[in-house]
Amino acid sequence: MIRVLFFGPVADRVQTREMQFDHTPGMTLHDITHKVGMQYPGALSIVSFIAVNQVQVRDKQLALHDNDEIALMAKFSGG
Amino acid sequence: MNEPVRIQQEDFSQDAEIAALKASSLRIGGIATFLGCARDFSEGRNVSEISFEAYGSMALAEMRALREEAITRFDLLDARIVHRVTTVRAGDNIVFIAAGAEHRAAAFDACRWMIDQLKQRVPIWKKEITPQGEAWVTPHP
Repeated sequence: MIRVLFFGPVADRVQTREMQFDHTPGMTLHDITHKVGMQYPGALSIVSFIAVNQVQVRDKQLALHDNDEIALMAKFSGG
Repeated sequence: MNEPVRIQQEDFSQDAEIAALKASSLRIGGIATFLGCARDFSEGRNVSEISFEAYGSMALAEMRALREEAITRFDLLDARIVHRVTTVRAGDNIVFIAAGAEHRAAAFDACRWMIDQLKQRVPIWKKEITPQGEAWVTPHP
């Protein structure tokens, strides 16, 4: 199972805080962002950072493993 | 309270944080601090409240990494970072950063570097609640 987390402005656009997808062999980060983007293009347009298991990643060809946690995040505005 | 890096709902005491920093080393000769607090006006609108949300586990890990980097980069003796994640009103505390070094220059430089890095790297978002409605804040450079 792949968990996809949403926070702040992205969560508002997706109208949920978490989605789950079955993990399949050869699955990449791009597969997940594509699925989310197809359902919620408006949400993906404000995603500036992606983390896998709480580490920022830029390579969407990154291979995913079962139980990975992905976060699709808008620009940060803390402080 | 003794944890030098924290995310918490409740308010913090600057005096207590500074005391904890000073207690970490008698070699500290300069402490620089940054206190971020809530404003009642932003982008031409009155702001009633500011609501914060965080990716808690990643935010805490990033803040810890940021502190370690600052200590190494600026040769600090210690540093502390506390960020509230809750709903605040005008005048309330939001974030506190303290840098302790042998001399002031490193403390000043490290303090500014840490708040600048926090804004860029730590997954926290704020939403301003105004009489006209709510809006997520677009980060300032």
